[in-house]
Amino acid sequence: MQPPVITLAECSKRFGERLALRKATLMVAAGETVVVLGPNGAGKSTLLRLVAGLLRPTAGSARIGDVEAIAAPKEVRAGLAYAGHQPQLYRGLTARENIDLHLRLHQATADTGALLERVGLADRADERIDGFSRGMLQRLALARATAHDPVLLLLDEPASGLDADGRALLDATLRAGIGSRTQLVASHDHDLAERLGVRAIQLANGGLA
Amino acid sequence: MIGAALTIARVKFVLEIRRREVIFAMLLFLAATIVIVRVALSGDTGAGTRAAAGMLWAAVVFTAVLGLLRTFAAEHEGGVIDALLLAPIDRASIWLGTALAQFGFLTAIELVAVPVWWALFFQGGGPSVGTVVIALLLANVGIALVGTLSAALALGARTRDVLLPVLVLPLLLPVVLGGVTATYGAFGEEVGGLRPLGFLALYDLVFLALAWGTSEHLLGD
Repeated sequence: MQPPVITLAECSKRFGERLALRKATLMVAAGETVVVLGPNGAGKSTLLRLVAGLLRPTAGSARIGDVEAIAAPKEVRAGLAYAGHQPQLYRGLTARENIDLHLRLHQATADTGALLERVGLADRADERIDGFSRGMLQRLALARATAHDPVLLLLDEPASGLDADGRALLDATLRAGIGSRTQLVASHDHDLAERLGVRAIQLANGGLA
Repeated sequence: MIGAALTIARVKFVLEIRRREVIFAMLLFLAATIVIVRVALSGDTGAGTRAAAGMLWAAVVFTAVLGLLRTFAAEHEGGVIDALLLAPIDRASIWLGTALAQFGFLTAIELVAVPVWWALFFQGGGPSVGTVVIALLLANVGIALVGTLSAALALGARTRDVLLPVLVLPLLLPVVLGGVTATYGAFGEEVGGLRPLGFLALYDLVFLALAWGTSEHLLGD
């Protein structure tokens, strides 16, 4: 049996007085896709940021493979992609420049034009993104997150702001990754796991139900 | 690491050329300060030289702080800092690239403002150009290193706009001291010869080592 790619062990995160995540325990196997469901404030974003290594657990541990996520070395980060609430894109750069920058920092090569074509932004490739709508930014964020072909993809409410075509694109991207990469997706969409045929977990009040 | 730092610095320059958010404000501030002090001192011919040297360094440091307040603004906006932290690069290269950009901005502004300072205060004669230029370049390195390190420290704070000057101004006091002493020396006054420049270079090396060693942790959680 393959060791889990993501392991949360009694993982808690406190922000001041507020306990955002309470003793969460979760294992996600290589190639598995898991949808994290829960209302606003349930702790979904905190869980994903802990797995990404952007937050340090207050108690317990969050691991990617056999390393603590917070101390993940470059080799682990090279295979990781995280798209959060914010698009993580430079507003003053064009769509193409943002993708090229991401590829350069990841020392990866990909056809930027084809990536933008896939998310329906080929005709806006050379426009600065500060004029983009929320949905366009979300599409571009999805293209950025998958540009370097990560083995671990973390998406935090990736459907927000997307139109019907955008949501279909998102479903297709996730479906294409099933089995070949590990995917953890925080979502309000209760049907997503069923549509993809994958496991869903429920977060409520900072704890896994 | 150097490649990633240069990539980040290049992005900062491209953004600044397109948005003109930092350099223009800094240039106006520095030029206005020089002109205002010149007007304020117009009746006092005796204090001219020393006052001119002191005001230049005070103005450079306050102008730099103005720019440092926007150090990670583009990365904070839209959550770009998360993408940089998760990229497979040394986190020190994020700090180094940003410091390189700060150095470039400050040097570009001084290229315009210092000749104005010169023209307003020293119609005949003035300090040795070479010494002042070297002192400014060494000071710019120190300001960029220390300023970017302080900006990284203040990054997660809600009150970072207030916190940053409080953090950085005391740390820049040696830069003012070294710069003013070097400028006095550039007038031919016996104030230690090249020692002030050596002091500024040592300051740069100390903070380069300190920032290099700590930036990995400062830019994390």
